[in-house]
Order: sequence, then C-alpha cells, then structure tokens
Amino acid sequence: MKPIERFIEVIENKDFMALGELFTQDGHYCDYCANGTAQHEYHLYGKEAISMFFRNKFLFRQYAVMETEVLNERQAEFIASFGGYYIMAIATLQQISEDGHIKRMTVRPK
Amino acid sequence: MGVYAVTGGSSGIGGKTVELLKKKGHEVINIDLRNCDIEANLASPEGRQKAVDELHQMHPEGLDGVICCAGVSGACGNLELIVSLNFFGTVAIVKGTYDLLKKKGGTCVVTTSNTISQGAARMDIADLLNNNNDNEQRILNVVSSMDGTNLSVGNSIYVATKYAVARWMRRHSASYAANGVRLNAVAPGNVNTAMTATMSANAKTALNALPIPTKYGKETLMDPEEIASVIVFLGSHEARGVNGNIMFVDGGTDALLNTEKVY
Repeated sequence: MKPIERFIEVIENKDFMALGELFTQDGHYCDYCANGTAQHEYHLYGKEAISMFFRNKFLFRQYAVMETEVLNERQAEFIASFGGYYIMAIATLQQISEDGHIKRMTVRPK
Repeated sequence: MGVYAVTGGSSGIGGKTVELLKKKGHEVINIDLRNCDIEANLASPEGRQKAVDELHQMHPEGLDGVICCAGVSGACGNLELIVSLNFFGTVAIVKGTYDLLKKKGGTCVVTTSNTISQGAARMDIADLLNNNNDNEQRILNVVSSMDGTNLSVGNSIYVATKYAVARWMRRHSASYAANGVRLNAVAPGNVNTAMTATMSANAKTALNALPIPTKYGKETLMDPEEIASVIVFLGSHEARGVNGNIMFVDGGTDALLNTEKVY
C-alpha cells in the first residue's frame, strides 16, 4: 500500500498510533485548514507529537474525514470535519524518506 | 522565613504546596473545609469573610503569600458550586488579603487550568464573571438553570470559571504589582488525585486524550508535586520578576494542542 493510501486508511480508522508511525522520527505535519477555532494552523514535529495531537482531536474535536479520494502518488483529497465544521482539504506528501516514511506532509484547503 | 496562606491545602495540589512551603521553613496557614488551620467554606460569602477575618486576626502584620488552590472539577455535578468556589472563592480571598499582602510586599498565586486554552469554556459565563460579578447570586441563578448532570456542561462551566480567574488575575496584576504585590497563575494539566484514581473508563479515555508529552507512553497524569513546586517558585523571591503570568504546568499539552500560539 502506498504511503498516501495508508495515510487515508489510518485517519479514516482514527488510529492515532498508526498515524504517528507513518512519519519519520522528526516528521512534520502542517495543517492549514480552518477548523472552527481561532487557530487555523497546526505544525507538528515528530511522530509522537502527531500521534498525541490526533488522539486529542479524534476524541474532543471528533475529527473525521469523509469522501476520500487518492489523486496520485502523493496527494489525496477529502472532506475534513472538525466537530461538524466541514472543509474540503487536500493532503500532499511533500517529502518521503527512503524507507517510505513521511518526512513532511501538508494539508491545505482545496 | 515567610507566612503563607493556602486555600484547599488539605489535599491535592494545595496539600503538596503546604508541604513544600513548610519544608522551606515557612509558616503556612491552611484554609479548607477540614483538617486545616482555618475551617471555612469558600463557596459562600460568609465562609470567605470568615477566612479573611481570621487571617487578619492571626497576622495583622501582613502575609508574604496567598496561594489559592481550593476548587472543584467540572464533574462534581453542582454547577453553582463550581462557580461560587472556583471563581468567587478565589477572587474574594485575593481581594480580602490584598491589604495584608501589601504590608509585606507579598505575592499571590491563583490556580487556573490548562483547559482555558482549549476552547471549551462557556465564554458568556466567563464574561459575566469578569464583567458583571457584583451580584454573585444572579450568576448562580443563570448556571443553576443548566443541566448539571451533563458532564460536558459541567466542564464548560468549570473552564469558564478558570478562564475568568486567569483573566481577573491578568487584569489586576499591573495595579497590584505597582502596590508591591505580584499576581500570577498556574495552569495545571490533569493531575493525579483521589478522584482520578477511581474514575470511570470513559472518563479515563477522555483524560488520556489530553496527552501529556512529558508522560508520553505512560498513560499517567501530572503529579501534584510537579504543580506545587512551580507554585512555590512563583511565590518565592526568585520569581520577583514574574507578574501577570499564566504558567502552564501541563507537561506540554498546551504547546501540543496550540502550536502556533506564541503569545
């Protein structure tokens, strides 16, 4: 399974531990999507931080994705929901390590 | 050595604070419901006045510090108690001891919560507490009409009271400091207490979804001493340059969930 497909799978399953493991030790996740709060950007560095962050968002913000579609080797789009606040988003694998882990991923409004 | 008054000093963060202050050689007056030096119910105006009066009788020469730890959680099931104790109980003690603190150039530390940065507060209630707090009963009447059995309602009121305490502290810190009294706050993460030790599986799941980076992989909460040691620092001469500060003592949860909030 390609990294972008695996990313969609784990996020659909709300598997925060597996999500963190997709990234390199110092992997960088950047989310630029509006989410119904005053903070519209998240920059997370490191797989543990990414895992902890989504553990929180999956439960308290009911973060979910739907209508997912893998566009190509590096991109997928989906409707992201932050506790009922919907936004069309596109995730892009900006950098991948030689062993297939994500070094940098951006999620932007589409 | 100094004289410190601590509210809620019989257990939890307050209890550890009392212990650490005593270890440093300070005299400590514990204000709590029981097992303490001044028995007072800070949820009531009469109880607050009793505590303030007794402090004045015991130490008319002044106090070096007032530490406000007394409070209840959002899960206590009593919304009026959350408001009356967490907000009014804290503010009344600080105001009531201001003259004693001024006499000795003392300092005050109030306890808020790291949840104030997570967007869960009923900001309308926080605004009432900060901007229209001259009539406590009127605000208690508003919250008493809400569903106290609903945990998310309880949490939203709890966070509102903690937000209001933090904002009250910020608003007053400059004036207090100009009169020689420093005001600061700690914002603890979730702390191990007798209550959290026996909580339900659902409650535990919720707590673990507020990850504490310094406890990564351990599924544990903050130790009360981790918070108390920062309180003691803020109340000490070493922190004389710190005023109006809300110090998050949560192992990095706030930074994790609010990466872009630098100020």
